[in-house]
Amino acid sequence: MSEEPQYSIPTVIQHGLHAIIRMPSEAKKIITLEKGKSINLGKFGIFDIDEIIGYPYGQTFEVLDNHKVRAIGATIYDTIDPAGDNEQEEGAEEAEATPAPESANATPIPETLSEKIDYLKKLDVQSSSDNRNIVDIGTAQSLSMEDIEELKKTASGANVGEAIIDKLIKSHETFHQKTKQSQEKYLRRKQQKFLRRFTVEYVSSSNLLQYFIEKDASKVLDMSLQSMGMLLTLGNIQPGGRYLVVDETGGLIVAAMLERMQGRGEIMVLHENEHPNHSVLTHTDYPQAMLDRMVKSINILQFFEPEEERVQFQEYTPEQLKELKSNKRTHYYRRKQNAEQINAVIDNAVSGNFHAAILATTLHLNTFLPKLIPSLGGSRPIVAYSQFKEPLVSLQIQSLSDLNLLAPTLQESRCRPYQTIPGRLHPLMTMRGGGGFLYSALKVFPLEKVQAVGRTGVKKQKIVNGEAKVVGEKNKQKETTEI
Amino acid sequence: MSFLGYKDIIEEGDLILAYLNRDTMKPIVINATETLNTRFGSFSHLSMIGKKYGTQIASDKGYGYIHLLQPTAELWTLSLPHRTQIVYTPDSSYITQRLGITSGSRVIEAGTGSASFSHSLARTVSDKGKLFTFEFHKPRFEEAKREFEEHGILGVPVTINHRDVCNDGFEIEDVELNATAIFLDLPSPWTAIPNLPKVISSDERVGICCFSPCIEQVDLTIKALQEHGWTSIEMVEIQGRRWEAKQVMVREADDAIERLKDVKRRKLEGIEKKRKYYSDNGIKKEDLVPENTDAETEEQKSQRMKLLEDEQEKTKVSKTEFNPFGRGLRIKEGEEGYSWVKVSKNEGEIKSHTSYLTFAYKQPAFVKK
Ligand SMILES: C[S@@+](CC[C@H](N)C(=O)[O-])C[C@H]1O[C@@H](n2cnc3c(N)ncnc32)[C@H](O)[C@@H]1O
Repeated sequence: MSEEPQYSIPTVIQHGLHAIIRMPSEAKKIITLEKGKSINLGKFGIFDIDEIIGYPYGQTFEVLDNHKVRAIGATIYDTIDPAGDNEQEEGAEEAEATPAPESANATPIPETLSEKIDYLKKLDVQSSSDNRNIVDIGTAQSLSMEDIEELKKTASGANVGEAIIDKLIKSHETFHQKTKQSQEKYLRRKQQKFLRRFTVEYVSSSNLLQYFIEKDASKVLDMSLQSMGMLLTLGNIQPGGRYLVVDETGGLIVAAMLERMQGRGEIMVLHENEHPNHSVLTHTDYPQAMLDRMVKSINILQFFEPEEERVQFQEYTPEQLKELKSNKRTHYYRRKQNAEQINAVIDNAVSGNFHAAILATTLHLNTFLPKLIPSLGGSRPIVAYSQFKEPLVSLQIQSLSDLNLLAPTLQESRCRPYQTIPGRLHPLMTMRGGGGFLYSALKVFPLEKVQAVGRTGVKKQKIVNGEAKVVGEKNKQKETTEI
Repeated sequence: MSFLGYKDIIEEGDLILAYLNRDTMKPIVINATETLNTRFGSFSHLSMIGKKYGTQIASDKGYGYIHLLQPTAELWTLSLPHRTQIVYTPDSSYITQRLGITSGSRVIEAGTGSASFSHSLARTVSDKGKLFTFEFHKPRFEEAKREFEEHGILGVPVTINHRDVCNDGFEIEDVELNATAIFLDLPSPWTAIPNLPKVISSDERVGICCFSPCIEQVDLTIKALQEHGWTSIEMVEIQGRRWEAKQVMVREADDAIERLKDVKRRKLEGIEKKRKYYSDNGIKKEDLVPENTDAETEEQKSQRMKLLEDEQEKTKVSKTEFNPFGRGLRIKEGEEGYSWVKVSKNEGEIKSHTSYLTFAYKQPAFVKK
């Protein structure tokens, strides 16, 4: 390769790019960083986009008054406490200590939030060592929703979260009696609910996937993060590769592959409509020139019947061209360019030798996949994702007798999240179901020619065949001894 | 560059993987004068040169077969020599995706161990990225270094250091590590965590994953991470499962009932035939099978046997045509004439626990650019 294009993921928040906003509630929002515009985060406040420009992606901000923000260090209580783990409504959410007589060593609550947090960190000794005194918050909670609303009105915007936490802490005379863990858990909950903080992240493939999983998982074929990671890993995706891709996740897989290719290589997107659906790509910031260069699309009619689909274009002679009116000429050039583009893509597809086939499709794989095999290079992976296991089971059975496929494998990967409070580690009560399944195999060139010509191998090979247990385990030896 | 990039044709000097079966792959460097000896026969390297990657070849004597593959990190994980516990693909692929490791990333790994994950990371960060891997066990360090060298990834993108990262940190002379992703697979990650600030990027969000088999380790790790300003701490466990797919025969209860009826009908037919035989020949069953044969002479016995043979011959019930499940026949899975259902089950042994994966992130220092 003469010139070596390169693309690096942006690290600084800049006008014109996209960003994903993570709010204290873990809700996510994708925004475009438009000059002069502001973003409304609902109960977490409003801020001007210009305020966050120039900071690195990953930065956390607090919303101040007048749409201003303040960059802040991370909060210590942001260990994620995913919804589903005892997350309940106000009032029943937290076990509380029963009211106790004024504690002699009750230290006054420090002034600033960070001091408060530091203070709380040192509470080890003061925390009651077990939870025998703990009763349901319903009886101990002394801050009503009205109180909170009132506070929101009176406290200045920036401090409302802290003010509420203060009030809450004060309102629990027994705060010190809570075990340290429940103090942390409590503060984290309050913070999630009231602190006007948000983090600005780069719209990575993982972030995009998570965003869609929460918003509408069917759009990304219910794919989990671990399935996506596995798809890319089994596909051996790297810069400089030429990949054949069927992507029914709206371009998410294409986006994830681009992330790993760093501006080098090519993705041939095979689709069944007039145009591929790349709606997810509109949330990303890959330069258009790079997309034009790297992502080619071809429909399955063009792919499987290239000769019929090649555009026959009647070129004009320079004389004929001269005679054309200018608008006709423009039209001619546009048609010419279009034809050339289509034919170039068809030629490209026909040349085959792709470095991987990455499939996330609802087309019937038992008939579709064998049609793709000839387009792959030898020793290259074929990876198919499916939301359901059954289509892959069927594909796997069929593959066992296909000598062009080596080591067909059907697998899944599940992720079990834990509560991460020290001393209280346990799996969460619930986790997301689904997430999909993966089929993978390597394209190989079997010894067929040798058989046809009838060289020595044939007879012995038959013996191997006879031994094979599974239908079509031909040419696949059984393990006997060590190498 | 065997693990990075793609090659079509096998040439002298290439590192290839000779695939014998799923669990046996042998890395070899092609040398025209050498021969690969396996339990499936001998394969001269000469017979491999000029072949396309992915080609199946027969042994020199023609009775065994192997496939010639281009190595990938994932195949390497399945075939590498184990010096330690290793990280497998379900964990490594998740960690990579979760930490946002892509081409060009700068990654720190400790310890190197059997370099299973190192190969996967090297592939992903590619020639534009960096993998700084550390191993304090001298022989393991040397083995891994030799492998990286042979696999064409030493230097670019892999740098390996013989170092105890818990006591001596991660700094490398004259190199700004500036890592954006950290992977710690060693017994006490909490003692390595304090050494990280000097070697991680300060103007990007940095992700870490600590890989520990015991929950007690996780507890200490989380405390250390919190203490050193890491946030968004999450811990998960990944469970990868492989499925075996096959077809089993659909055996209809109605067919089973039908078969019983058939058995019964043929039994009755036999009884009827016998009854008729006795009456036609004016004999009784006792004549054929007497209660006491002691008094019988040789002569009598042979006559009786003849009669018995005749009876059996004449009262024979024809073999049934009805055999819905192919009893007594060798039916191949999926054979025509029967109906089949496609099923799957977990493979015999499941890896039910590899390690806990503790993730955390470090905010960039908030400097406005
Ligand atoms: C389980 S193995 C790593 C396996 C590796 N992740 C793989 O996939 O092959 C752990 C390794 O860490 C090394 N190790 C342990 N403590 C270390 C330290 N303080 N500094 C450097 N290496 C260390 C051990 O010698 C061992 O080889």
